[in-house]
Amino acid sequence: MTLIKKILLFLKRESKLFYSNIVDLFSNILFFFLSIFVFVFSLGADQELLRTIGLGIIWSLLLLSSTLSLRKFYEDDFNNGVLTIIHMGGISYELIVFLKILSHFFFVQMPFLASIPIASLFFDLPVNEVYNLIFTFIIGSLILSCLSSISASMNLLNKTNFAIGSIVVLLFSIPVIIFSVGINNPDINVNSLINLLIGIALIFLGISPWSSAAFIKLALRNK
Amino acid sequence: MLLINNLSFSRNKNIIFENLNLSLSNQSITQIRGKNGSGKTTLLQVILNILESETGEIFWKGKNVKKNIFNFYNETTFIMDHNTCTKKLSVMDNINFWRGLSSSKLTNNQILLLLETFNLQKYQNTKTMYLSSGEIKKLELLRLILEQKKLWILDEPYNHLDDLSIKILNQTFIDHKKKDGVILFTSHLNPNIDNLEVVNF
Repeated sequence: MTLIKKILLFLKRESKLFYSNIVDLFSNILFFFLSIFVFVFSLGADQELLRTIGLGIIWSLLLLSSTLSLRKFYEDDFNNGVLTIIHMGGISYELIVFLKILSHFFFVQMPFLASIPIASLFFDLPVNEVYNLIFTFIIGSLILSCLSSISASMNLLNKTNFAIGSIVVLLFSIPVIIFSVGINNPDINVNSLINLLIGIALIFLGISPWSSAAFIKLALRNK
Repeated sequence: MLLINNLSFSRNKNIIFENLNLSLSNQSITQIRGKNGSGKTTLLQVILNILESETGEIFWKGKNVKKNIFNFYNETTFIMDHNTCTKKLSVMDNINFWRGLSSSKLTNNQILLLLETFNLQKYQNTKTMYLSSGEIKKLELLRLILEQKKLWILDEPYNHLDDLSIKILNQTFIDHKKKDGVILFTSHLNPNIDNLEVVNF
């Protein structure tokens, strides 16, 4: 019971921090829309072309936008010792990471859901593709949150080259993009792709708490 | 209460301390005194299992700390040399977070009284980023009373404090000692506390 209270307390703190950093979220969403404008204006008014490549562009930009908030994942709490204090409060590093992933998923990724239908208008995507995009984004963004956690915790060990974290996210998210964009291919079974995405999400949900916690512990020892 | 046996730690082949033995009994205040860079903070981090020792063992109430780490943490408050409060949250938000984390039984009225003692009551709803270094340090030290733990481990607790706050802190130490508490702190200063045990480092 005490642990559940502590978990709820942790999530409450994360939500408060999210509201105090809401400008960051708006700048991420602004980056997303401005990048879409750049693509739309550079590709011209070919409606068929925009419709064909729209889904891929939206997914790629969602991915790039989510890497913008990577640095915020652990850095502040690590540098000021809050992670140690929370751990001393009886929460293992693995659970801290899991809760951080959940809060990143809800407070950083989910607000993008609202921007997806608007972004789809610029590419004139059919309604069923927009539904598919939203559905794959919900699963894919959970995978991205897990990847962000791993790379952000790796960054704690490497304070000089921040780009490495983003590279890790981009590299491992290629399968997510392939399966997410492939969902609108009429020759492919939708259910099998969704099952694959859910499978990847579950694998990363299993791996990331342990790997990120190991990186955090290592970083604390090298602090 | 706290027994440190043959503790050694080195970093990058530099020996920070070697075969260190220390015993802290009930109702004791122990200062680890040493100049800057002598390894005082490292020692506290090794005791708290944040850093891993090369040799030696630490026992709390007769039980090996490493094997019962959460039991040990459950009875320990650690005040770091830097501030652990979240600067984007208000004073009260930070206090409520610490209170929940340590399952403290202190009531809202008692907390308000504490804030008054440390002259922080007017900043209850102010984000901590707008507080001075001394005020943030006082807020941090509130955790000692808030968490109601038996063992207090503090790293340079006198930094940024004015004379009045130092007096209040010393009195808080003495009160905790009378309540069967154990205090271990590092400092390069010579605080005015009766029956203070000093370990030169």
